[in-house]
Amino acid sequence: MKLGKTLKLIICTLLIFNFQHSIFNPTHAQGLLGGHVTGNVQLDGQMSRADSVIGAEEVPERLLLNARADVLYTNGDFSAGLRLEMYQNPLLGFDSQWKGQGVANYFVKYSGERLTVTAGHFYEQFGSGMILRTYEDRYLGIDNALFGASVQYRPVDGVTLKALAGKQRHFWDYGPGLVRGVDAEVSLNSVVKPLSGSKLRATLGAGFVSKYEDDENIPVPGTENRLNLPLNVGAASLRADLGFGGWSLQTEYARKGQDPNAINGYIYRPGNALMLNLGYSTRGFSAGIQAKRIDNMGYKSMRSLSGEMLYINYLPAITKNHTYAFLAMYPYATQVNGEQGVQADVMYKFKKGTLLGGKYGTDLHLNSSLVTALDTTVIGGLGTDGYTAGTFSKGDFLYGDLSLEVAKKLSKTVKLTATYAYQVFNPVVEGHAPDLYHNHIVVADLSWKVSKKHALRFEAEWMGSDSRYDPEHGHDDRRAGDWVMGLVEWNIGTHWFLSLSDQYAYRDGTGNYYNLSCGYTRGATRFQLGYGKQREGLLCIGGVCRQVPASNGLTFSLTTSF
Amino acid sequence: MKKTISLLAAALLTLAACDSIETEEYTVYDGAPVSWSAAPAAPEAVQRAYVEKYTGPKCTNCPRADETLDAAHHQYGDRLVVVSINHPSGQGIPYPNEPDMRTDGGTAWDKYFGITFLPSAHLNRTELYSGDISAMIPIIGESIQNAPSAAIGVQATKEGSAVSITADIQLLQASAATLTLTAAIIEDSLVYKQDHYLEGRIDDYVHNHMLRKVITSHWGRDLPGGQTLLRGTLSFTPDADINLDNSHIVVFLSEKATRRVINCASCKIQ
Repeated sequence: MKLGKTLKLIICTLLIFNFQHSIFNPTHAQGLLGGHVTGNVQLDGQMSRADSVIGAEEVPERLLLNARADVLYTNGDFSAGLRLEMYQNPLLGFDSQWKGQGVANYFVKYSGERLTVTAGHFYEQFGSGMILRTYEDRYLGIDNALFGASVQYRPVDGVTLKALAGKQRHFWDYGPGLVRGVDAEVSLNSVVKPLSGSKLRATLGAGFVSKYEDDENIPVPGTENRLNLPLNVGAASLRADLGFGGWSLQTEYARKGQDPNAINGYIYRPGNALMLNLGYSTRGFSAGIQAKRIDNMGYKSMRSLSGEMLYINYLPAITKNHTYAFLAMYPYATQVNGEQGVQADVMYKFKKGTLLGGKYGTDLHLNSSLVTALDTTVIGGLGTDGYTAGTFSKGDFLYGDLSLEVAKKLSKTVKLTATYAYQVFNPVVEGHAPDLYHNHIVVADLSWKVSKKHALRFEAEWMGSDSRYDPEHGHDDRRAGDWVMGLVEWNIGTHWFLSLSDQYAYRDGTGNYYNLSCGYTRGATRFQLGYGKQREGLLCIGGVCRQVPASNGLTFSLTTSF
Repeated sequence: MKKTISLLAAALLTLAACDSIETEEYTVYDGAPVSWSAAPAAPEAVQRAYVEKYTGPKCTNCPRADETLDAAHHQYGDRLVVVSINHPSGQGIPYPNEPDMRTDGGTAWDKYFGITFLPSAHLNRTELYSGDISAMIPIIGESIQNAPSAAIGVQATKEGSAVSITADIQLLQASAATLTLTAAIIEDSLVYKQDHYLEGRIDDYVHNHMLRKVITSHWGRDLPGGQTLLRGTLSFTPDADINLDNSHIVVFLSEKATRRVINCASCKIQ
């Protein structure tokens, strides 16, 4: 802790010294010690009042604020940075443990030609992240940065060795587990001379991560026993990234040692995960197929913690990250205890002047994904191996979707994107009863560049679903039912925009969610003000989700960078 | 080259850091369970001080701590309860062919509180004194003047090869904290080698208050909520090498979250 305070003091001194001077020399943002300072500021505010129809609750504070400022000082090979954060009080849906303010992240870094050393807070990823990925997502309210030291060394071109150790950030404190890791990545085209000019591109990698956590007393119910916990939990992975012409293949296999924890119900079964990504692309066409199997791979630096905090690893999502409102209404959250799935994605561009391409060409995008649970046989609970699982046999259906998107420029100023999607969603992934929802969704998105300074965008969405909102019989999901939505967005000149939208559950559902927002952008600064209703649901990014409660009121945000 | 070797060394060390537990060892005995009932009468409402002393046979200054605590015992009588814990490593390692006083429970406490220096003494698990622990003595005196937030009394009887323990508890102040009851057996008059700050190694040093076993789970058993006057009963079979005639039962109440000991009691085994 003493070392942390000293480090923070050095960074603050450097930044203040340089930042003060850069204010008076804004042209170059040049500090007294040389180098330069850059940064960004973001402020998000929310006011919400009670609304029994949508389930919004009164906010006693009236005004909720999340704010942050990142400042980075760079001088040649040396850089240092810090981030101030404030949650007074946290926006709705953010864990109340975020409440507070202070310097949440600080580091010093040396980046030489062969060697990179970081002390303080840092983010790192080994391969696809299945054994280690620390990251920050301000919208999900996740920051699992490691606080410690990291070394990256490139002894020869094409070879990267990494070693790190530290503890993960947990709100305003650190998790109890000590995380250590090593990783090596070799580009065979750089190291093996005969491959240097080859069409075959090959990169191989391997990583190992170990977590140490003190013992704790976890009693076995109904006995006089407690769990004999492994204090060091290791996870290893092997990966390959191959390419030949337009073809590419990325694959990674990971294994995790015995790791009884709150997520898996304190079972001793080792974990494993396999990810495969095969793709082909050429001009106007690309296709990819992705397959993934996860078995007991939740890996945290605090074994007794559930929820989304303190994950050491990241298990990539295998479903498309949809952006349209109804397509994203039932997002799929990765099931770290076990799932398997495939995703196929095809994009094709009909050329200009062809029957389907017309005058400007037509883009076609087809995507489908299917995720099921593992086929497991339970052999015990806490303090046992938990279950056995068939290698590729299917368990319960969890999620499936098929979407077809057609984008066509109708004239020089008008572009239409039309989407149809069919989704089948099992709410068991959100902890509800396994009662499948079948949804048909249609979206029409029309952009019209009215003039050089004005543009309009119209969006219409419809969703038909067999789900019902019926709280008296236990169906309390406010997303249920059939919905329609309309949106108009007007970009006025280069600085202003105005947007009006409404989502309405017209059958078997509840709620009318209107929103009005406007914004002003000038240079790197953007201010946005909105008023309306927010539907409760899940916000998911890359398979990692945050519960968003309903709200009714004003929101505003300010972002700027320097 | 040096950097590559260093990174490879880091890799090897990390690779070694993975524990594997055999199926039959997934669970381990966690001490005697406690049965709860209503206590027939309230125990004496007196505040006692609880001291965990960390010691080792190769710690030359540990006899100084023994002398200090013996003097404190003389001064405070049964208002002071001392438990001597043999440090698990370094100066705590026994001499060859000498009794090993290290215990699983003591090691768990030692590691949790991060004991790195011998002798150390922990008063009520809130204030840690290392080296010269004499500064703790007046603090003990002050602490036992406080009004107790909970009263506790204990009785222990031999029943064949087993020992039956009854702890009566009265919660005197309302608190939201979860409390736990921990019971341990300590033994006096154990004779084995001990390094001494004046006399070098003493072959027949007399060790008192030595922790022989934490009878409950290492961190105790939770008190049931909603009751202010309750009795906890438990029984255990002591190891054959424990002389029950020289032994005491120590019980203490602590806050589950902070481990702070709020009161304690000890008794001879009848």
